[in-house]
Amino acid sequence: MATTDSDSATASQRLDKDTREKLITVVRHTILLTWSFIVLFPLYWLASMSLKPPGTANSLPPDWIFLPTVYNYIQLIQDSGFVAAFANSLIMVSASVVLVLLIGVPAAYVLSRYDIPMERDVLVWILSSRMLPPIAVVLPFFIIFRELNLFDTRIGMVLMYVSINLSLVVWVMKAFFDGIPETLEEAARVDGATQFQGFRKVVLPAAKPGIFSVAIISFIFAWIELLFGLVLTSFEAVPVTLFVYSFIGSRSIEWGMLAAASTAMIVPVVIFLIAVNKYLAAGLSFGVVIKE
Amino acid sequence: MAKITIDDVTKRFGEGDESIVAVDDVSLDIRDGEFIVFVGPSGSGKSTLMRIVAGLETQTEGDIHIGDELVNQLGPRARDIAMVFQNYALYPNMTVEENMSFGLKMSTDMSADEIEEAVTSAAEMMDIDMLLDDKPGELSGGQQQRVALGRAIVRDPNVFLMDEPLSNLDAKLRAEMRTEINRLQNDLDVTTLYVTHDQTEAMTMGDRLVVLNYGELQQVGTPLECFYRPANQFVAGFLGSPSMNFFEGTVEGGTLRADGFDFDLTERMQSAVGSRNELVLGIRPEDMTLHDRANSGHEFEAVVDVVEPMGSISYVYLQARSQSHEQTFIVETDGQRPISEGQHVYVEIPDRDVHLFDRASGETIHQRQLGDDAEMALEEQMKPAE
Repeated sequence: MATTDSDSATASQRLDKDTREKLITVVRHTILLTWSFIVLFPLYWLASMSLKPPGTANSLPPDWIFLPTVYNYIQLIQDSGFVAAFANSLIMVSASVVLVLLIGVPAAYVLSRYDIPMERDVLVWILSSRMLPPIAVVLPFFIIFRELNLFDTRIGMVLMYVSINLSLVVWVMKAFFDGIPETLEEAARVDGATQFQGFRKVVLPAAKPGIFSVAIISFIFAWIELLFGLVLTSFEAVPVTLFVYSFIGSRSIEWGMLAAASTAMIVPVVIFLIAVNKYLAAGLSFGVVIKE
Repeated sequence: MAKITIDDVTKRFGEGDESIVAVDDVSLDIRDGEFIVFVGPSGSGKSTLMRIVAGLETQTEGDIHIGDELVNQLGPRARDIAMVFQNYALYPNMTVEENMSFGLKMSTDMSADEIEEAVTSAAEMMDIDMLLDDKPGELSGGQQQRVALGRAIVRDPNVFLMDEPLSNLDAKLRAEMRTEINRLQNDLDVTTLYVTHDQTEAMTMGDRLVVLNYGELQQVGTPLECFYRPANQFVAGFLGSPSMNFFEGTVEGGTLRADGFDFDLTERMQSAVGSRNELVLGIRPEDMTLHDRANSGHEFEAVVDVVEPMGSISYVYLQARSQSHEQTFIVETDGQRPISEGQHVYVEIPDRDVHLFDRASGETIHQRQLGDDAEMALEEQMKPAE
């Protein structure tokens, strides 16, 4: 008898446990679904706006059900200004990311590994380039760019983007290199590598997640930059953001075109993210034990 | 193949008044194939000395020879050494196989096939051949340890350097790896420098110990020599667990008056002591005996403070009944002996097991006696060290 009682008791307990777990799953999914909706709705709104025929994009109440059309996109592609601006941005931003990594990563490595006099001050000096609000420096930049014949040039914009992102790259990568044990390079040197080989074959691969993280962030910061593009370009080096901005006229806003151009702008960022995702997910486990 | 000569090596960090002497004028001859353990507390300069031999630090003064070559100006890559680091320092982006072959690719002209063969055979030796395709992050601490050792032996270097390689392992694994490293070193017969702060590792692993403290060489000798014939009070206290008990005292007419008891110096001790009168008496916990009542008159009364039962033995912390300060000393007793806190016992200090040290300099004045066989065996060991 006693055995049966205890058996049924365990059974009911198990049932309770199962129910509880199911309940937790339901709650968890509800929260996640709600959050996903909050995040994805603006994107949906943008995409749906871009697919509506002209004139109906901003109608209220919104047309929830409509016949999607790629009219806006066709208009966009046929606009040579948009294609030029998009290509401009792709080239300028990519070049700036490569350049900022080429300058910033070695600088961060040196700051992390060597005894630099006044290291703290150097770091703060690098960061200080971002302390003024952009609007405060945009006019001096305009004058400097004009004097140096950099106004409305792609090279000028590349340098501008580099100056925006350099402090970020140096600071983040210095912290990253600080986290990579120096014994890794020492092991490489004992194994017969030169100091440079140690850096290239051991430290740099270990720093990949960090490098790709700052690369994607730098890309996004430069890609969405508007203010400097507005002031420092006029025709040749116009970035895509400026072109998108041009759909906001003084009298009317071309909502459909604006939405289509904005959607198109998201695409390169998403592609870049997917391409480097594997490295971002690689995490920070270095296969070494932290000294106790 | 490779003896190592360390000549008057000094290493100072920093400059001027703020400089710190990490290694202070150390000279040492290490024979080919010898297993040398650098042992000392943290900050003793043992790791720095090893890093100087590796070429990862440059000495401020002095010379290092590996084999017959002066290596002062050579970087680590030119010294034909392999090193195992405390945190293993495995290359995180490479597989185990790539980790092990990296050194061969960097430092030799071996063909890919030869490298693969060398890696496979070293991996089999370390029992990690099934892990060759894994990344270090996927391995357990013990496996990473084995890979780090494998990476060192595959190089077939002149010298192995091991910087506290076992300190991140749990106790059981540490004991296993201790035996394994001993076995490897015996098989490969490569000159090995091993740094540790763990006196158990030091006692069990090395052919000879190099005991360091504050960057200064304290003693060089076989483990048993350092244990039974310590050069000074530091070595005596550092080796052995629990540590040797020390009692400060003053000599008055053939008697050492310590805090809490008097100890009659034997004639041999008296002649060794000479005119000194500030001494430290040292005796190991396992050499003292406890009695329930006074019988020979040589004992002194003490009160049990704490008992630590270890199973087959117990460590009894005691205070002499008439001592003025709080300090306790330790006596090892049979684990089956009933003893409890607060109990009064009589402590015997056998003459033959007593060490005497000069209180000011810490130098050993008088060494304990050993059994005849042990004495002879020890002298046999000490001979080649001369």
